[in-house]
Amino acid sequence: MSALLQVQGVSRTFGPTRAVDNVSFAVQPGELLGLIGPNGAGKSTLFNLIAGVMPPSGGKIAVDGTDVTGWKSYDMARAGVARTFQIPKPYRQLSVIENVMISAFLRERSMGRARELADLTLSDLGLASYRDRPASELTVGLLKRLEVARALAMRPKLVLFDEIMAGLTPTEVGAMTEIVARLPARGITVIWVEHVLYAIMKTATRMVVINRGCVIAEGAPATVARDPAVVKAYLGEEMQLA
Amino acid sequence: MTATPAKTSRLWRISGMPRRGQISWFEVILLAGCIVWVAFNFAPALQDVVVLSFLFAGLALAWNIAGGCAGLISFGHAAFFGIGAYTSTILFQSYNVTPWLGVFVGAAAAAIAGAVLSLICARLKGPFFILSSLAFAEVVRIIALNWPSVTGGAEGLSIPPVPDLANMVLGSKTAYEVLTLVYLLLAYMITRWLEASRFGFYLFAIRDNDDAAAAAGINPLMVRSSAMALSAALTGVGGTLFAQYFLYLDPTYVISPELSFQFALLPAVGGLGTAVGPILGSFLITPLSELLRTNLGNAAAGLHLVIYSAGLIVVMLYFPSGIAGALEKLKLRRRRP
Repeated sequence: MSALLQVQGVSRTFGPTRAVDNVSFAVQPGELLGLIGPNGAGKSTLFNLIAGVMPPSGGKIAVDGTDVTGWKSYDMARAGVARTFQIPKPYRQLSVIENVMISAFLRERSMGRARELADLTLSDLGLASYRDRPASELTVGLLKRLEVARALAMRPKLVLFDEIMAGLTPTEVGAMTEIVARLPARGITVIWVEHVLYAIMKTATRMVVINRGCVIAEGAPATVARDPAVVKAYLGEEMQLA
Repeated sequence: MTATPAKTSRLWRISGMPRRGQISWFEVILLAGCIVWVAFNFAPALQDVVVLSFLFAGLALAWNIAGGCAGLISFGHAAFFGIGAYTSTILFQSYNVTPWLGVFVGAAAAAIAGAVLSLICARLKGPFFILSSLAFAEVVRIIALNWPSVTGGAEGLSIPPVPDLANMVLGSKTAYEVLTLVYLLLAYMITRWLEASRFGFYLFAIRDNDDAAAAAGINPLMVRSSAMALSAALTGVGGTLFAQYFLYLDPTYVISPELSFQFALLPAVGGLGTAVGPILGSFLITPLSELLRTNLGNAAAGLHLVIYSAGLIVVMLYFPSGIAGALEKLKLRRRRP
């Protein structure tokens, strides 16, 4: 079985800081991988490296066996890797359906087909009633859902979720968890970066925990939660907070 | 909970955007009115103003493709205008190429210049892009001024006023009205096509959010330079028409910052990013500025500019989304129960 995503010894430095330090892991097709870590662990940087926002300082990233190290974000999108933004980045002057259509164009080049795909995606995510509303009028919860809709309308092989639960009400978290949990069955592999742990612990098939730019634990959610290194990393954070 | 849908739909109706790609009756009447006006030759005394209004409406639509649709606010479009005008005129005078062909060469030259500008300024956004576009046009103007062997320098170039359809020197002002109206309609149709096409959606995407567009598989640099090239090409066509109408060109007017500002102003007054806005802007501002200049230009030098600017400030303050936006709001308010 070949990995869908292979991250091999990837590092990223900002000046003297090593935000991501020699990280390696692989994601198999159909997995729902949770990527967690305390604040400042390097989650976002790792996420941005995989999404092509910036090139790694060292190491290799491969999608489906193809070396994609240093590819730009639009190249990654075309290679089948979709992403969401932690702080939603809607096209404010466009309507909800138009927002999703722009993503749908990646696979459906005609207006009509793109609109159909966008409509389908909107009803999947329960956004159909907001179809013709300007994106600038949506609440944070709906904007997060729009982020997910845009990513899914790209018909990706792999989707990267960046804290899609942050700022949601408990009801919204429940609805979103349901949406995410359905994806592997539809042939979409998921890497999910999250700070709200209880949702991800319940849904992920496997977890990767990073701290100070390094992988400190990897495995089933239940195992990882008991891992002393993980407990220490999170406890350490809490003690700093106190 | 049951009251929510009605409430949101009213909210949507007040703040709603014009349905993209939908052509309103107002637009149809406006454009048909232009055709009728030219066909029946109303107000022969105003033909100069009509030609200029049509020409500047086309130019405003051209600017709007970059500035309104793609968010590339440029204060350097006079450079493309000048490149189009000079290319066709030089080709005609030195190589005897008819401007009917020269207009396409001029458009291509302007398109290349537009693409080069956006590639150079790839990383610049907002005010930084505006300033570099302004500087770009100044560079083009200074080159034109200091290259007399090709451009005639400050003395400019004249086209012999011998009416000849083959050389795009037309015998009557009505013929120029037809020519500039065709230009306006061409620019209008291109804008309408953009609103209903994938490429047009890509322009809106990079205007509203670059990062999101890139994450959706769009190469922002490619889209940006294509938009600029299209806008510049259409502006270049306008430059050739201008040269063929006035039969005289000099860098001080044709590549002036004032002209660049004018291109940006008309769509801003009429309504940015819409197809009808730039036309309305030109139909309002072009006659107004001509009127003020001819009536006040001699009596009190510069007074027409003061009145003109005061009018613009009022428009910007009270109609920030332009005339098209104000009309849309008026329509929605009337429809509201």
